[in-house]
Amino acid sequence: MINRNIQPTTQQVEHIAFVKPQIFDVTPAVKLLWMKEVPNDTVRLDLFFDAGITRGEQSLPAIVHSLLFSGTEAFSSVEIHDQIDSLGGFLDTDISFENAVVSIYCLKENLLAIAHIVADAINNCIFRENEVVDTLRSLEQRYKVNQQKVSNVAQQQFRKLLFASSESYSRLAALEDFQSPNNFGYRSFWKENYLNGLTRITLVGNCGLDTVDELIDLFGKWAKDEPAKYEGDFAMTPQKIHFPKEDAVQTAIRMGKFLFPKNHPDYLEFQVLSTILGDYFGSRLMTNIREDKGYTYGIGTGNMELQRNGYFVIVTEVGKEVTEATLTEIKFELARLQTELVGEEELSLVKNYMLGQLLKSADGPYAMLDMFNSVDMYGLDLTFYDQAIEKIKHVDAKRIHELAIKYLNWDDFLIVTAG
Amino acid sequence: MIQFNRFKLANGLTVLHHLDETTPMVVVNTLYDVGARDESEEKTGFAHLFEHLMFGGSVNIPDFDAPLQHAGGESNAFTSNDITNYYNVLPVQNIETALWLESDRMLSLAFTPKSLEVQRNVVIEEFKQRYLNQPYGDVWLELRPLAYKVHPYKWATIGKKIEHIEEATMDDVKAFFNAHYHPANAILCIAGNISFDETKRLVEKWYGTIPTSIKPERMLPKEPAQNEFRIQTLERNVPNNAFYYAFKMPERKSFEYYVTDIISDALGREKSSRLYGKLQKELQLVASISAYISGSLDEGLLMIEGKLNDGVSFEALDEALWNVLAELINHPMEQAETEKLLIKIRTVKAFQEQGLLNRAMNLCNYELLGDANGVNEENELYQSITAEHIQTVAKELLRKENCSLLRVKAITND
Repeated sequence: MINRNIQPTTQQVEHIAFVKPQIFDVTPAVKLLWMKEVPNDTVRLDLFFDAGITRGEQSLPAIVHSLLFSGTEAFSSVEIHDQIDSLGGFLDTDISFENAVVSIYCLKENLLAIAHIVADAINNCIFRENEVVDTLRSLEQRYKVNQQKVSNVAQQQFRKLLFASSESYSRLAALEDFQSPNNFGYRSFWKENYLNGLTRITLVGNCGLDTVDELIDLFGKWAKDEPAKYEGDFAMTPQKIHFPKEDAVQTAIRMGKFLFPKNHPDYLEFQVLSTILGDYFGSRLMTNIREDKGYTYGIGTGNMELQRNGYFVIVTEVGKEVTEATLTEIKFELARLQTELVGEEELSLVKNYMLGQLLKSADGPYAMLDMFNSVDMYGLDLTFYDQAIEKIKHVDAKRIHELAIKYLNWDDFLIVTAG
Repeated sequence: MIQFNRFKLANGLTVLHHLDETTPMVVVNTLYDVGARDESEEKTGFAHLFEHLMFGGSVNIPDFDAPLQHAGGESNAFTSNDITNYYNVLPVQNIETALWLESDRMLSLAFTPKSLEVQRNVVIEEFKQRYLNQPYGDVWLELRPLAYKVHPYKWATIGKKIEHIEEATMDDVKAFFNAHYHPANAILCIAGNISFDETKRLVEKWYGTIPTSIKPERMLPKEPAQNEFRIQTLERNVPNNAFYYAFKMPERKSFEYYVTDIISDALGREKSSRLYGKLQKELQLVASISAYISGSLDEGLLMIEGKLNDGVSFEALDEALWNVLAELINHPMEQAETEKLLIKIRTVKAFQEQGLLNRAMNLCNYELLGDANGVNEENELYQSITAEHIQTVAKELLRKENCSLLRVKAITND
C-alpha cells in the first residue's frame, strides 16, 4: 500500500546546463547573438532599437513604432503585410522603457525573404498621410480605453511619481499626442532611433552561417554608432496618493521603490526575499490576501530592471471596499519579514522552487537565448546564473532578515491607488 | 510529428506518454472532460469555481501547491465551456510529487468550508476584474445568451451572474466532484525525459487504486438551427462604439470546422486580411477589426469584432461589412490567397510543437476528440482545404439569419 500522507522524496536541482549563443560583432557597439540548436524549422529574429518610450516626447516612440510597416513609395502597408503573410511570417513588435523590438517568427526557409521585406519597409517608410491618420485613430482609441482601466491609471500615475525627477522617464502619453500628425517629428525620430538606432540582433534558428552574414549585411547599416546612454539616478518622494474613478468596482494598487540594477551585489539574494513576499503562488502576500482573505484574484511583486537602476513593485487589484484592509495586510507582511526570521521549511521550499524555475527558464533554445540576452544586455554573462544557483542555495534566514530591514521599510514606499 | 504512447488503467484512466530526451523538465497534464456546458442553468460558474477548489487541499494532503513548489515545480489550471485542464511543470527527477498530488485530488478533495468561502470571494473578484471593471468587459456575458437560446454555451465560464457563485454550497461541490472527477472522465499526459515503462509503473502506482466510476453521459440540448437575424444594443460608458457579429459554425470534429477557421483568417486575422484592408484601410470606417473562431467542441461561433471610427454609423459599417462577406461567397478565392492562409497555419503548427507543455495539452485535447494522433494529422487537414471548400462553407455560414449582432453604443456619464 502506498502512503499518501507523505510526499515522495525530492531532489534539489544541482546543476543547470546553460548554453551560450554564438556572438558576432555587427559593429564594435552592436552584437548579433545566434542560438543555432533548434530541433525543427522554426526561426525567431529580433531587432532591438534604442527607441523605447523614454526616448522621445509626445508619444513619438510609440507612434513611430506603430508606423514602421505603414508603407513605402512602392508598397502600401497592406501590401507589405501581404508579402510577409504570403511567406508564412509573423511580425511582432514590442516597446518598453528603454527598448523597442521588432520580431519575425517564421520557418527557416523563408527567413531571408521576410528579412528583406522588413528591411525595405523600415528603411523606406514614407509616413503616408492616410496611414498616419489611421494609426493615430487606433492609438487614440486604445488610449481612451486604457484611461478607463484602473490598472492602467494606477500604473501610469505610479510611473509618473516614481520617476518624478526625470523628465523622460516620467512622461505620460496625452490624448493630444494622437490628435494631430507630427510628420517632422516622426521622420526625425525614425532616422535617429531606427535607421541609426539598432542596438542588437538576436537569432534563434537552425540556419547556415551565410544566413547570419546576410542578416548582418542587411541590418548592420542601422547600427547605432555609440553604445546607447541611459539615465540611472532617480529620486522619488515616498507618499500615498489616490486617483478616484467613480464607477469602478475594484481598486488598483501599485506600490514600489527604487532598488538597484542587476549587477548590484544584493540583487540575487533580494530575489529570494521578493519571492517569499510575493513572487510565487504560495507567497506570503498571496497566502494572506488571496488565499486567506479572498480580497483579490491575484497579488504579486516584481523587480523591474532598467539599464542603470531598478525598482521593486507590488501589484494588485482588490475589491474597492477592502483597499485599506489590503494595504494594512501588505504593511503587516513587510513588517513581519523585518521582525521575524523566515522559517527553515519556508526558506527551503522557496529555494527549491526558484531553482526549479531557473531550470525551466533554461529549457530549450528559445528560452536559453532569452536568458542569455537578459544578462548580456546589462553587461553580465552566464556566470550570473551560476552565482544565482550558489546564492539561492546558500542564503540564510538571517541574511533575508537583513535585506528586509534594509529594503522593505513601509515608509520608503510610493503608494498609488486608483478606483 | 509528436510521438506518443497510450494505455488505459483498469479504472478507466486514459494515459498518454510523450518522450522528449532534450528537456530536464516534465509535464503532468490532466484534462477532465467537464466544463461550463455541464452546469445546470441555475448554478452557473460552477466548473470554474470548482477548479479553484481543486487547489484547496485533497483527502490526504492539506495543501496542493507547497509540496509541488518544494519539488521545484509550478502548477496552474484553466476552465473553458468544454473542459477543465490542470498542469504541473517540474524537474523530471521529482515527477512523483506531481503524481502524488494529482492522484490524491482525483481520489477525493478535503472539502474544507474555509476553502469554499475564500475561493467564492476570489472568484467574485476575478468576475469583477475581468468582466465588470473593464471597458467592454461584459460583452460576452450578453453575447452568449443572444447567440444561444438552448445550449449551455449561453452562459460564460465565469457564470451568468455573481449570485450563482455566492450561493454555491458544499453539497453542490461534493456532487460536482462525484459526477465529474474520477479516472474514467480524465485524460492524463506525461511528457518529458522519462521512459514509457517508468511512466506505466508510476502511473499504476499512484492512480491504480483510485476507484472507478461511470463516465457521465452528456445529454446537452442541441441548439436549434438559427433562422433569424438577432440584434441587441447595449449602452455603456465606453470610449467608442463597438460591434460583435457572431455566426454559428460547425462543431469541432467536422471538416467544416477547419474550413471556418481558414475563413476567419481570410476575413480578419492579419493586416493583410479582407476586413482589415477594406473597412479599416480603404474605407476608414473602423479603428480596429478582427475575426476569429471560438474554438468550442459543440457548434461554436465565428466572430467579427471591432470598433468604429468617430462619426461612422453602425449602419454604414454594417453595409460595408456584408459586402466584404458577399465577396467571399460570390467569388472563389484566388490560389495565392489560399496558399497564404495555409502557409501561416504551417508556421503556427511548427511553433506549437516547440513547447513541451503545449505538446502535452494538445495530445490530451485530441484524445478527447477521439485520438491523440489527431494532433499530427491536423496540418494535413488544413492543407487539403480548397477554394471550393471555402466558398461552400462561407455561403452556408455568412448569412444574416445565421448571425447575432451585439452593438455597444458609447454613452458618456460624465
